[in-house]
Amino acid sequence: MRVTLTVNGERRELEVEARRTLADALRENCRLTGTHLACEHGVCGACTVLVDGEAVRSCLMFAVQCDGREVRTVEGLAGADGTPHPLQEAFSAEHALQCGFCTPGFLMLAAGALQEDPSIADDPDRLRELLTSNLCRCTGYESIRRAVTRAAGELAGGAS
Amino acid sequence: MAQRAGGDDSEFTRRAADGGSAPSRREDARLVRGAGCFVADLLPEDCLEVVFVSSPVAHGEMGAVDVDDARRMPGVAAVWSAADLPAVPQTPPMLGITASAGRAWPALAVDRVRYVGQPVAIVLAADRYVAEDARDAVRLDISPLPVLLDPTDAAGSEVELFLGMPNVAVEKEYGDPIDPAVWRDAAVVVEGNYRQQLLAHTSMEARAILIRPEDDDGLTVWCSHQAPHRLRGDLAAALGLPEERIRVVVPDVGGAFGGKSETYPEYLAVAVAARRLGRTVRWVEDRAEALTGPPHGRGQNQRTRMAADADGRILAYELTIDADVGGYPHLGAFVPLNTSVMAAGAYQIPRVHVQTRCVVTNTAPTSPYRGAGRPEAATAIERTVDTLARRLGMDPAKLRQRNFIRPDALPYRTPTGFQYDSGDYPAALALAMRTVDYDGWRAQQAQRRRTGTGAPLGIGICSYLERSGNAWEFGSVEACPDGTYLALSGCCSTGQGHETSFPQVVASVLGVEPELIRLVEADTAIVPRGIGSYSSRSMQTGGAALHRAAGALMEQARGRAAESWAVPIEEVTYRAGTVSAGQRRVSLADLAAATGPLRADEVFEPPQAAPYGTYIAVVEVEPELGTVSVLRLVAVDDYGVVINHVIVRGQSYGSIAQGLGQALYEQVRYDPDGVPETRSLLDYLIPTLSEVPPVTLREMCTPNPNTALGAKGAGEAGCIGAPAAVINAVVDALDLDDPSAIQMPLTPFACWQARQPALAGAGR
Ligand code: FES
Ligand code: FES
Repeated sequence: MRVTLTVNGERRELEVEARRTLADALRENCRLTGTHLACEHGVCGACTVLVDGEAVRSCLMFAVQCDGREVRTVEGLAGADGTPHPLQEAFSAEHALQCGFCTPGFLMLAAGALQEDPSIADDPDRLRELLTSNLCRCTGYESIRRAVTRAAGELAGGAS
Repeated sequence: MAQRAGGDDSEFTRRAADGGSAPSRREDARLVRGAGCFVADLLPEDCLEVVFVSSPVAHGEMGAVDVDDARRMPGVAAVWSAADLPAVPQTPPMLGITASAGRAWPALAVDRVRYVGQPVAIVLAADRYVAEDARDAVRLDISPLPVLLDPTDAAGSEVELFLGMPNVAVEKEYGDPIDPAVWRDAAVVVEGNYRQQLLAHTSMEARAILIRPEDDDGLTVWCSHQAPHRLRGDLAAALGLPEERIRVVVPDVGGAFGGKSETYPEYLAVAVAARRLGRTVRWVEDRAEALTGPPHGRGQNQRTRMAADADGRILAYELTIDADVGGYPHLGAFVPLNTSVMAAGAYQIPRVHVQTRCVVTNTAPTSPYRGAGRPEAATAIERTVDTLARRLGMDPAKLRQRNFIRPDALPYRTPTGFQYDSGDYPAALALAMRTVDYDGWRAQQAQRRRTGTGAPLGIGICSYLERSGNAWEFGSVEACPDGTYLALSGCCSTGQGHETSFPQVVASVLGVEPELIRLVEADTAIVPRGIGSYSSRSMQTGGAALHRAAGALMEQARGRAAESWAVPIEEVTYRAGTVSAGQRRVSLADLAAATGPLRADEVFEPPQAAPYGTYIAVVEVEPELGTVSVLRLVAVDDYGVVINHVIVRGQSYGSIAQGLGQALYEQVRYDPDGVPETRSLLDYLIPTLSEVPPVTLREMCTPNPNTALGAKGAGEAGCIGAPAAVINAVVDALDLDDPSAIQMPLTPFACWQARQPALAGAGR
């Protein structure tokens, strides 16, 4: 089937089987391998991308469901001139990644949430709940929580 | 002895939050942009995808494998079972483990299957979806045989998993048998039966391998691995190729934790397929396959016995282990050795005797899993010490203080034949107690018990000692004519940040900026030799090798300058990338440009080291539901000299989370037929952010006396210290007299059940 997606601002026409997941379409057809697959059954969140601004698990979505929609992946997180997103800087500054396999998923999860409601980082319970959606086997999460809080601060500072 | 306590975690938090002294890791720049390169991210044109048909039966006699329908499916390149291959390679035994003799693990099952998930046939197609369709079209005919799932049962069973061979694949003994009179005459003797459940490594990236056949009949192999040179040697041996024809490259690795240091049958099958078809072939394991295993970690049945005098001085300790090595003895058969040599922990115990049996069963083969035998040792002795304290009516901290090896008794040789190098075990416990406010929590516990208010509260201690590092490692430093330095290491980072920390080591010796140093590792075409990264050995051994290589480079530069200036070498001094004598002065870059390559290679084999520490957990157990809440966890670790505190603290945090996972949530479960029940991450529960309690890390530093670098090794301590601290705390909270009444994972049901006798007693 033919689908048209806008991925990180770029229009892509793809010929895919109906059963092809969005994750595979992004990774293999678009060759955007920053989106990772760690479970392929919707639990770990490594494959999180934004579809029309909303965080989704791309392993649980078919590419055909995204026809005509906007997809943003980790490759599209930095500014057009390559300036890193505050979340990317904060993850590095807080050592919120070790192997980095889960990182794109956490970044997109947090990017979606902060975009929708920057105040989420001010509420420890909401932030905890948000970050509980994804799995990381390396860091023990504390540094990820710190990184998202830090980035939220940067984003708020930039906005004011 | 150099000894100092590091800052606490709040200080660390502040420093990191300020963007303070710790530079960002070099690895991060690509990883946060999604520009890392993991095996599955290599997308060569024309690559075939592999899917395995694996055994759904845990133990059975194989009939014919019917691949006809699968082969006929459009897009399928090949479907082969063992019967279709002229020769079926066998997985080479690892670390000289003799148990594999006569129990070889074939690339594809021959005659019998011995665990669910064992590869029976390989399917190759241009598309993974098609390959999976074809997999589902392969028909197997396997007649089930009796299934053995517990190592102790298997050891005593009439059923032979390998015909004509005992199920006990290895039997070993450490220390001398203890005179029965010691048990008879001791004031107290306590016993315990502990189960170390099977765990799944669950690195977020599962196993992955990509193989390209080369024109010279050789192979280039990209694999998510911990030990590239070992993999090269194993592939060469299994395929009958000279090692030089195989190049192994390990790109970014999405976590490993011990499960990626092995050579698996799947890798051999992929290599055979690539060679037969002359095509690039890849296998990217999915989570369902990964959870089915192999590998699994842990899997020990332990019996302990400890004798003490009336004052609580430990007189003897005995540990008996039945270790599950799964369907084929592989690297899992090495793990009990680690448990055995450090069985006595941090205590001065005159008599220690350990007996181990590695037993084949019908679970998936086991391997080292973060901690690799050490959590097993620490949990056994630390639970037993707590039982002894209860029996004596003594505070468990006091009992430990009474029995620790004193700092002035180090180096100390254990009755099981391992040498502890240095440290201050009593100080680690004292620091942990102060940090957690031990006396305050004990007072609160006493008050709750007295008044019968509040949830049961427990405090648990684990004073662990581990052995880290083993064997040699290669390190090399070269001064390049452009003013930079090239460091090569035989280690292999799987998330530990070597690109950042190894240059720091070299820079500190050379007195130059770390930015000038570039690290290359994990490519057998560039790094001539190497072992890899496991056993907390990277910094302890690999870092120490680089440290020496940098020193040797300085010497080489002085020698070279002395020669070209015709002055005695004593007159040539090295400082910050330059050598000088009198008025003459030249940078290493210019010296290399003028006189030829300046490079020092080192192979260094320091003795193993003994990091140690104390973990204290404070828990509450919800009385109705049995839910455990960890209120506080304090970790005091002495890793020796730490090169990059941010990385090491990250390792501590992460391994503590994994340790909590073992203590509270994780377990690979099999049904009675040997079919794994934990096949998704909804069944196999690893901690999320919500499960990680407040953790306080404190560091001590006693430099490793056996290397100039002084690092002892870090990365596994949390898995070692956290489980025993938590389980001791839960036993304390529930006030259990029979500690064997509760086993990990401490699920609500396990706690609720263990508490029943107490509840029943209270009601009567
Ligand atoms: S890969 Fe999609 S949720 Fe795990
Ligand atoms: S950094 Fe390795 S899984 Fe999160």
